Amino acid sequence: MGKQIKNVRISLQTLRVLEAFLENPVDELAGADVQKRTTLASGTLYPILLRLESAGWFVSRWEAVDPAHVGRPRRRLYRLTPSGLARASEVFTSFGRGVPA
Amino acid sequence: MKTRNDQDLARRLILRAARKAPAAVAQRLEEEWLADLASRQGSLARLRLAIGCSWATAVITRDFNVPQLATSGAGNGPKHWFADHRYDLPLLSRRTVTLLLIAGAHVLLIYVFASGFAQQFSLIIPQIMHGVVIEENRPQPPPPVLSTLPFKATVITDITDTFDPDRFDLTIARGDEPKHATDDPPGGSLPRGVPAVVRVLGGPGRNFPTTEDYYPTASRRISETGAANVQVCVDGRGYLTGAPTLSKSSGSPRIDDAALKLARAGSGHYRPTTEDGTPVTSCYGYRIRFELTD
Repeated sequence: MGKQIKNVRISLQTLRVLEAFLENPVDELAGADVQKRTTLASGTLYPILLRLESAGWFVSRWEAVDPAHVGRPRRRLYRLTPSGLARASEVFTSFGRGVPA
Repeated sequence: MKTRNDQDLARRLILRAARKAPAAVAQRLEEEWLADLASRQGSLARLRLAIGCSWATAVITRDFNVPQLATSGAGNGPKHWFADHRYDLPLLSRRTVTLLLIAGAHVLLIYVFASGFAQQFSLIIPQIMHGVVIEENRPQPPPPVLSTLPFKATVITDITDTFDPDRFDLTIARGDEPKHATDDPPGGSLPRGVPAVVRVLGGPGRNFPTTEDYYPTASRRISETGAANVQVCVDGRGYLTGAPTLSKSSGSPRIDDAALKLARAGSGHYRPTTEDGTPVTSCYGYRIRFELTD
């Protein structure tokens, strides 16, 4: 997994996604939540989420609700992994922006 | 009703996009995107999400089909098939930017014509512009090739006696009786007391320049000919004592100028006027003819 993380290319859009998660690293965010924070188009956002997840920066799970009960599909929730948090912090430090508070 | 139709359209687009995604993630993406759709408010937001999902499918499919990704993900399951991805798509692709620029240009054109700005601009243009009358450039005949010109320029000088006694003080100091006069009127004799001298008028002498060297190029090209009368004052050594003057034009400024240049260049090569064999300063005229002969 470490080798895979090293190969992730950090684009400006990726930084915005990471920044949204670093606001509160323990939070679990759905794609719609990330979109609201980053204002990225869905065509850009979801591929980034999948790449970061496959690289081990994120983990995801289904929302623990009954779709029939809530009347909507389950949401996919993403969260930073410890290694992802470390790597994201390192990336922001290397860019001179610092880790978002 | 309209909202319902928009939602159905967005749902269909999302389902279609999810079906085209790689099988490993198709079901997941469908549910995830439908959940996202449910949280969107407004028709535009829902349609924007649906279109974005279609674009995301294309990106995800392309990433999935990269050979090294497929290889790296083969042993670890579908979770890792993005692991070695080295690039992210920009927010707006080059194609999107191009389409937006084209659309923007059309909108700008429509606005220009609809707002009347184009008409106002067309009224301003004549005020800014300044008309300049340009003379018609008449086509000139092509110049002939000189090497194939069937003519040869030669100088022809006609000596004309245009001696002007008012301009030249000719001092005649001879005996009371004429010894010999070449300019006596035929059949007559000089009155008593008038001195008689043998006066031979000068003119172009040995090594005098030829018109061939001074023939104007433009006149040569158009086969222009002409003759000009020039007036010169020459001292006893054959040198000019003043600038030559034109006494009769040829009708062509080019020929006239060339004649004056030729007359000026001949200084030192003039044959001086002689009186009783003695060179004297005198003024006389002669004709310079520029002709093209075989």
